Amino acid sequence: MRIVVVLGRVLDPAGIVVNARAGRVFVNREEYLLQPADRCALEAALRVKDELGAEVVALPRSPLPDDDVLRQALALGVDRAIYLTGEGLRQADDAAMVRALKAAIERLGGADLLLTGATTLDSGQTQLGPRLAEALGWPQVTAGWSLKVADGRAQVVRQQGSQYVLVEAMLPAVVTLQPGSLKLRYPDGARLVNIYKNVGEIAQALETWDAVELVGEPLTPLVEGRGRDFPPPRERGARAAGSAAEMAQAAAAALRQRVGR
Amino acid sequence: MDFTLNEEQRMFRNMFRDFAAKEIAPHAEEMDHQETLPPSILQKAANQGFLGATLPEDYFGAALDSVSYAMLIEALASASVSVAMTIASHVSLVAMSILAHGSDAQKEEWLPALAAGEVIGAFALTEPDAGSDAAALQSRAVVQGEEVVLDGVKTWVTNGATAGLFLVFARGAEGVDACLVPRDAPGLSVGYREPTLGLRSVSFNTIYLEGCRVPLANRLGAPGQGWTIAQQAQDRLALAVAAAALGVASSAIDVAAQFATERIQFGVPIGQKQAIQNYIATAVTEVEALRYLLYHAAWQADQEGLDAFDVSVVKVFGARIARSVTNWMLQVLGGYGFMEDYPMARKYRDARTLGIVGGPTELHSFRIAQHVFAGRDLEIAL
Amino acid sequence: MDFTFSPEHTALRRMIREFVEAEVAPIAAELDREHKVPYEVMRKLGEIGLLGVCFPQKYGGMGAGETGYCILMEELGKVCTSTATNVGAHIGIGAMVIHLDGTPEQKEKYLTPLSRGQKIAAFGLTESNAGSDAANIRTRAVREGDSWILDGGKVYITNGGYADIITVMAVTDPALGARGGVTAFIVETDWPGFSVAREEDKMGIRGTSTAELVFEELRVPHENVLGKVGEGFVSFMKSLDMGRLTLGAACLGGAQAALDWSVRWAKRRRLFGAELAHKQSVQWMIANMATEVEALRSLVYRVAWMVDTGQPFTQLAAMCKMYGSEVASRAIDMALQIHGGLGLTRDYPIERAFRDARIAEIFEGTNEIQRIVIATNIFREHGVRIRP
Repeated sequence: MRIVVVLGRVLDPAGIVVNARAGRVFVNREEYLLQPADRCALEAALRVKDELGAEVVALPRSPLPDDDVLRQALALGVDRAIYLTGEGLRQADDAAMVRALKAAIERLGGADLLLTGATTLDSGQTQLGPRLAEALGWPQVTAGWSLKVADGRAQVVRQQGSQYVLVEAMLPAVVTLQPGSLKLRYPDGARLVNIYKNVGEIAQALETWDAVELVGEPLTPLVEGRGRDFPPPRERGARAAGSAAEMAQAAAAALRQRVGR
Repeated sequence: MDFTLNEEQRMFRNMFRDFAAKEIAPHAEEMDHQETLPPSILQKAANQGFLGATLPEDYFGAALDSVSYAMLIEALASASVSVAMTIASHVSLVAMSILAHGSDAQKEEWLPALAAGEVIGAFALTEPDAGSDAAALQSRAVVQGEEVVLDGVKTWVTNGATAGLFLVFARGAEGVDACLVPRDAPGLSVGYREPTLGLRSVSFNTIYLEGCRVPLANRLGAPGQGWTIAQQAQDRLALAVAAAALGVASSAIDVAAQFATERIQFGVPIGQKQAIQNYIATAVTEVEALRYLLYHAAWQADQEGLDAFDVSVVKVFGARIARSVTNWMLQVLGGYGFMEDYPMARKYRDARTLGIVGGPTELHSFRIAQHVFAGRDLEIAL
Repeated sequence: MDFTFSPEHTALRRMIREFVEAEVAPIAAELDREHKVPYEVMRKLGEIGLLGVCFPQKYGGMGAGETGYCILMEELGKVCTSTATNVGAHIGIGAMVIHLDGTPEQKEKYLTPLSRGQKIAAFGLTESNAGSDAANIRTRAVREGDSWILDGGKVYITNGGYADIITVMAVTDPALGARGGVTAFIVETDWPGFSVAREEDKMGIRGTSTAELVFEELRVPHENVLGKVGEGFVSFMKSLDMGRLTLGAACLGGAQAALDWSVRWAKRRRLFGAELAHKQSVQWMIANMATEVEALRSLVYRVAWMVDTGQPFTQLAAMCKMYGSEVASRAIDMALQIHGGLGLTRDYPIERAFRDARIAEIFEGTNEIQRIVIATNIFREHGVRIRP
């Protein structure tokens, strides 16, 4: 069985200070964490490996300037990690990245399960898992709190409203996991030392592939970023008084005025 | 300059040392580890007159002069700093405040009972957000007819668990007022006892005043005089803290010097090693300096009275010496100094508190600097 | 001169910090309050290889060198001196002697489970008449066929109350004394004749076992002699040297924590109209603390590098221990003063750190012994021989 885990990094929020008034972000300490949700996805993969035996391969969620996140994954216990490079990869957005990841999975020879985080800590986006599922043509279960694999199915507990439901998907499937969903293991010390020193068997487990070569065409992003700004200052609202019906009328009128209709 | 003690003072000193050796020292370790102060010990101290140490005989006090009082606190602290500070807080903070500022009726009502140890006094000034800073005091005292209604929270109230009388400071109409609050006053409750690094037999409690009512006649001194009363009380206590510092430091030297004659390493008593000799010599020098500084200040208290400068100098020096000496004497004991079944660890922990209890060293340093610059027409602010 | 940490040491520090925050910080106060040993934490540290951080991977360790070990001790020292002490006694003196002087068979049998935390180690040297004067030990080992019979006892042994393996120093030839008459033995604590007589009641590091051990006709097989018969002193001296360096690293962590707490408190606490951070008394204390911490950090990691590159380090390790313990004591004392009443209450970690720090100037060789070591080394280089 092969499990692909897609991992990314995020700037440690403890090292940054956001000053909205000055319109600036101060990075006091530039340190990166594994995306917390991706870390849970990795933990889930390793648990399946512990229980059933599997080959776990780590791939990057977005273009990475270095392979640190993949080395962390190897220290934690994945069998292989693929670092992607390539002309223009740096500008790739999720849509472009998905094409690269799909090609990488094909080059691996396919997979039975793809796990990644349900959401990212910095941008709060949840689209990577679903995009991958669409691209691969696999069923997807998102925002899971736990995962079990049995009889060729992924069994995922996810929250729906105020309930928890168990959802089953036939493998191969994409499952995304919530941050904080699982108690995380620590890396193995010897693996960690060896992968960072680039010695031993584990050093061979980290490979570098050219994403553009894999895909066979440029990875043009779908979305073009034109700039960054702080959100405009929040304005004060207005107060409505009177009976419930009167307040509702007043609120509707104010909203209409605001929206300009 | 005659530095000799008079006959009475010498007699008192022996009496205090005997009492400490017989009645306190044998129980000091247990009291510290159990974090208790048996009432029987306080009662014995009361029987000797210690709980009314500096009160006049009219109020059943022992009428000790300041030098004798300092010697009392020193002797008690040699055995147990907790016992010394319990008694010093009771005498210097509460009983003496009533003596200095109370009406005849208040003195009649409280001083004999305090002197006899029937009532223990507690001093309630500190609040969660107001330690040394008067302006930050938030407890309120509102006069309603013939009563004062008190509201607020006080922390680090020494003797809170056993006190029958609380001297409470709260903001009234004209500034800070001082009020005598009996334990059974409606609206007063004694709460959490602070577990501490040292002074483990002293009870430091949080007390709550919730619409606490006392008769107007319980106000101590004039309205708005409370801060002055509090300052003077703390100045009296500062002298006692320095005496306690002297007691703990000198007793630490005794323990260490004895150990250094008995502990054999490398074939000789460690007292033969120059490093050990140096630690002891430095400690003895510091203690001698503190001794004369303290007794001079005590003597001066009885002559012209003490000002903030004198008090602060003694307190700063005392706290520093207590810390330094107990630290180095612990080092002389080596591993034994770290074990709680030897007295040194307790002395070390108790001594450390003296740099904070009674006002942190930094505040006292400021008062000294203030005095120096005031003499040169420069007014400094904290 | 490249002062940066290698990638593996940077990654190691990150891993340890995560572990310490999740597993050690939450229990630190409880260990002290209840006088409990962190058994669970020791087991978990072993599972991820940290109890063999400086031992070879061949014997279950991580192979991260003395630098890796210093990083572990520093990060533990920031959060819980008791846990750091348990770990230090296990790795730095207990298991270390086996690593330095054990045969491959001994390492296979003992070092591997010790590296993985399956067994816990302690170091049995000190006796009631032999503290600083370690050569004055009396525990006797007499040869009987293919065993040695040990009689005597040890005091103040860290981890002694729960260790599985203890490296014990015993006199094998009273006539020769320290030079040729002391041998190191690997003792398993479930052997008949071994018992724990009592646990000490200490002012600090109350989350550790400090035990008195008794040996009564304790039979030790000859294959458990560590190093050569009669050369025990040499073995133990080497491991003590290394232990001194890593104790300095733990003190570095403690001093850094004191500094961090002080800065945080100075930012928050308002007194007389301004935060404490605006008072020069506080600024001076913090500047002094920070400078000493940096100096200590440079010293500790430079000496770690010297160990890892095979250079002599005895004198410098003694400096690390001596200076480190004094820096930590000064730092926590200032932190306590800055915190005022909060520094005296047992509901806050400052007073625990204050009590914990005090032992560092005494155990692993008192600072007096460290100064003797340093001065002796200096004068030896100038041809003068000093005796203690």
